Amino acid sequence: MKKNLLFKAISLLVIASFALAACGAPAPAATEAPAATDAPAATEAPAMTEAPAAATEAPAAGDVTLRWRTRPDNQEEIDVYSKISTELDTELDGVTLTYEPGGTEGANYQDQLRSEVAAGTAPDVFWIPGTDVADFATRGLILNAADLAAKTDGFNVDDFYAGPMAHLTYNPEGAKSGADSGALWGLPRDVSTFALYLNMDLINEAGAPDPRELAKEGKWDWAAFLDVAKKTRALGTDIYGYGASAWWGPNGVWINSAGGNFFNADRTACALNTPEALEGLTFQKSLYADNDVAVPYGEDPEPVFRAGNVAMFQNGRWATPGVRTVEFEWDVVELPNGPSGTAGNWLFWGAYVINAKTEHPAEAWALVQALTTAKTQGEIAALGANIPSRVSQEALDAFVTFSPPANNQAFLNGIAADSNPTAEGPLWAGSWPEFDKVTGPAVQGVLTGATTVEAFGATICDEADKVFTK
Amino acid sequence: MTTYLQTDSRTELLLRISIVWRGIFALLAAGGAISLWTGTLLPAAPLWQKVLVTAALVIASIFSAIGAVLISRRNHGGRMISLTLDYLSFVICAVLALNTGEVFVGIDALAETFTSGIPYLGIVLLGYFLGVMDEYFPQKKQDAETSLKAASRWVMLGGFVLFLFQVGALKGILYFLGKLTQPIGIASVIGMIIFAFSLWLIGQAKTAEALHVKTNHEQILSGWLFLSPNLLGFLIFFAGPLVLSFYFSFTDSDAINTPNWIGFANYAKILNIQFAFLSSPTQLAKEVVDIKIYDEVGRFVIGNSGILFAAADKFFWIALRNTLTFVLFAVPLSVIPALVLSNVLNSKLPGMKFFRSLYFMPSIAAVVGISLVWQWLYNATIGYINYFITLGIEFWNNLFNLAIIDPKIQWVSDEKTALFAVVFIAAWQTMGFNTVLFLAGLQNIPGELYEAATVDGAGAWDKFWAITLPMLAPTTFYVVSTTTIQAMQVFEQVFILMNPPEGPNNSTITLVLYLYRSGFQNFEQGYASAIAWVLFIVIFGLTLVQFQRQRKSSIYES
Repeated sequence: MKKNLLFKAISLLVIASFALAACGAPAPAATEAPAATDAPAATEAPAMTEAPAAATEAPAAGDVTLRWRTRPDNQEEIDVYSKISTELDTELDGVTLTYEPGGTEGANYQDQLRSEVAAGTAPDVFWIPGTDVADFATRGLILNAADLAAKTDGFNVDDFYAGPMAHLTYNPEGAKSGADSGALWGLPRDVSTFALYLNMDLINEAGAPDPRELAKEGKWDWAAFLDVAKKTRALGTDIYGYGASAWWGPNGVWINSAGGNFFNADRTACALNTPEALEGLTFQKSLYADNDVAVPYGEDPEPVFRAGNVAMFQNGRWATPGVRTVEFEWDVVELPNGPSGTAGNWLFWGAYVINAKTEHPAEAWALVQALTTAKTQGEIAALGANIPSRVSQEALDAFVTFSPPANNQAFLNGIAADSNPTAEGPLWAGSWPEFDKVTGPAVQGVLTGATTVEAFGATICDEADKVFTK
Repeated sequence: MTTYLQTDSRTELLLRISIVWRGIFALLAAGGAISLWTGTLLPAAPLWQKVLVTAALVIASIFSAIGAVLISRRNHGGRMISLTLDYLSFVICAVLALNTGEVFVGIDALAETFTSGIPYLGIVLLGYFLGVMDEYFPQKKQDAETSLKAASRWVMLGGFVLFLFQVGALKGILYFLGKLTQPIGIASVIGMIIFAFSLWLIGQAKTAEALHVKTNHEQILSGWLFLSPNLLGFLIFFAGPLVLSFYFSFTDSDAINTPNWIGFANYAKILNIQFAFLSSPTQLAKEVVDIKIYDEVGRFVIGNSGILFAAADKFFWIALRNTLTFVLFAVPLSVIPALVLSNVLNSKLPGMKFFRSLYFMPSIAAVVGISLVWQWLYNATIGYINYFITLGIEFWNNLFNLAIIDPKIQWVSDEKTALFAVVFIAAWQTMGFNTVLFLAGLQNIPGELYEAATVDGAGAWDKFWAITLPMLAPTTFYVVSTTTIQAMQVFEQVFILMNPPEGPNNSTITLVLYLYRSGFQNFEQGYASAIAWVLFIVIFGLTLVQFQRQRKSSIYES
């Protein structure tokens, strides 16, 4: 009997020790997200500290669980989004939040999301790139939040950049945008734009002029850019003057900068065969072929830049966290002005949208607002990956302090109204993915020398115009 | 004249209940089929679902009625039908109940919390070790041994309960039960009880005896019962989707809205091609074909003229061309080196087992990881492959004072090399597996044949050509067939390695990649299904040709 007791005691002791060990396990990393080292604390960001008001429709009784998802670029962003989710969980009454970072090396974010939307298992609130908004909206996959917004005190579409909001408030029924269009497909998570990341060590070694100074003097144009690129390229066969990834963004910059565009004014037809568009493409091709200053088109230039072998690397604000780890002296400068007198930059954006099948639209709308407050955006912007989507001088002032790079103003110049950036956007009268599928390889054919600019101009719109009938 | 065995009153009652139940089942199934079309049942279901469910209900109704008649005639066929229908219905109700209780979603949730419960599984393990310690006790200490076993049980039980608690199983069970209170959940549970009762009722030994069931009938039933999990899995997860995709290929399904029947439109679009003569090699396509319908796929230049190949869906034809090119190179590169390697590894030299394992490793490595590593290796500017090429060229230039120009090959960004970069990875990855298959084939060749050849004065090459190759024919056929089928479905390497996956100027777009893009990126599930079926026909055709060639050439056949 005593032995039985002894063994039962041992049993309990063993169980208790394991239980204590398990309880003492470290908390998930999400709650321990470190603050960005040299960025101001998130709470120093411009204040809109109070949680947004839910639409006046009363929320459902009891706690409702909302799942939300956005595409993070790295673990640091996952940590910040997890932390924000925890904070908003306490701020939003009656709502329990579950944050799901989306996308892996083997599962593309958008593909995974589309599959879940089709299967009816997508989260209540999710992020999609600006180019996907029309596709999701016209298929009825995302909720039109215009009615909810109309009932929300203090909500104003003009608080956000006009470019993204023009697309997010576009009502295909009346072909109209704006606060009174009767459509609101979501709110922009953030905005971004291109800049040139500079390897100042290479530029100084080549004796090339400092692009930042040229920009200040108003002399930063295609010729000056090419001059710097050529001088740095001359440093060695493995040193490149310029590098950009192979997608529509960098291609579009040169076309826009020359005064061209992908589409006609009302985005109902292809405009890649205009003389201006072809001029932009010709200049871009010269970087790869005639002048041979660029990292070969199609090769990822980011590792080459980070290895210290590219003088000017064109990328968005999202590349900043990665570039911060390099060991050479670096900074950024705005894109050079082209024949049109502007840099032809893009205003990139993506939006938080509400799943059309959500059981809790009012709570989901409150979450979308909470995710786009200046406070929340400030916390994420402190990481350096993006720019707040709210038009607010305080937000911009805070953004400039999120350094390095020292010349953060270059990004702000890129999105300034004076620069006339083209807002990334969907095709309401066609299919953006189809347009990209047709034009992307064709542009690549030009830049890799497989076809000529003239042949491209003669055929591209015959093929690309078909996507506007879909 | 039919003779009936005498049955006791209880069995008689059970049989009568079974007959009545079969009748009710038949009526309910028929009623369900009718209500599908009157809008009472599943009013929002698409046509294909209604047709499918109707067919199932009508068949069930007819068989149930037949079952009732057969049971009344004391025919064992009635029992067979009854057991089959009730078993399938029970499974359907169980799946419905699990689905209503969101168990399948809960498994995902469990995967997330599972790690937090692992320490408690350690308790279970520890309990197990406590239990096996009794072997070390002397025979005379029986009391201690018993106590240790008891402690072991308690520790394991306690650990498991704590584990369930930690991973949220308790909350999950309560959630499951809560969800089951919905009407469909209650109906499913009631259905399970009724079908289980009916199974018990007709499964009774005395009932079987009354229905003249023989041993072989029982064996057949047992066989089907054991086969049923696999068979149901096959029907639901393979045959079902296959039939469904065939149906979708005739619709405009976007996977979200109700699909519309469009007949052969998807296939017509795929196969809508046109050839046109060109008056000059540079003549524009829009001058010879209707450019609103067709796009140029390619042109064959003959002197100062040529032939233009245009298609309504040029991407399909480009993908088909790329896929066939891939097969043309990837299959020989995966098979021939494997054959050579297997002959080397078949020798009895020391260390061969190590090398066999080494060559097999790429086959078991994750494709995503491998592709990412190769992405780095292939980088034209800072990749290791070009780095070593540059070193080699510099070495030769310095040694012999040559002026060889470094080609700086753009492996994945040049349309001329991109597909071959993928071919090389695929061949490297498949070669190890094929080597193992050839090794197995080699070890089945009788040694006497080689001994006789040696006596006849045959050399190593003669033996390989006259004995090894013919005797390996079945293995070679299997290896070539499976490698071809695998190569026709190339996807992962392209999807991960290339950015964008279509590659420069669409040089790496393959059929599976294109159907993936159509179905999952462009929401064209109907069209993607049609592509899948065309791909199936192409693979089927190729395999058929291989079969026929194998029959003609095999020494085993002759």
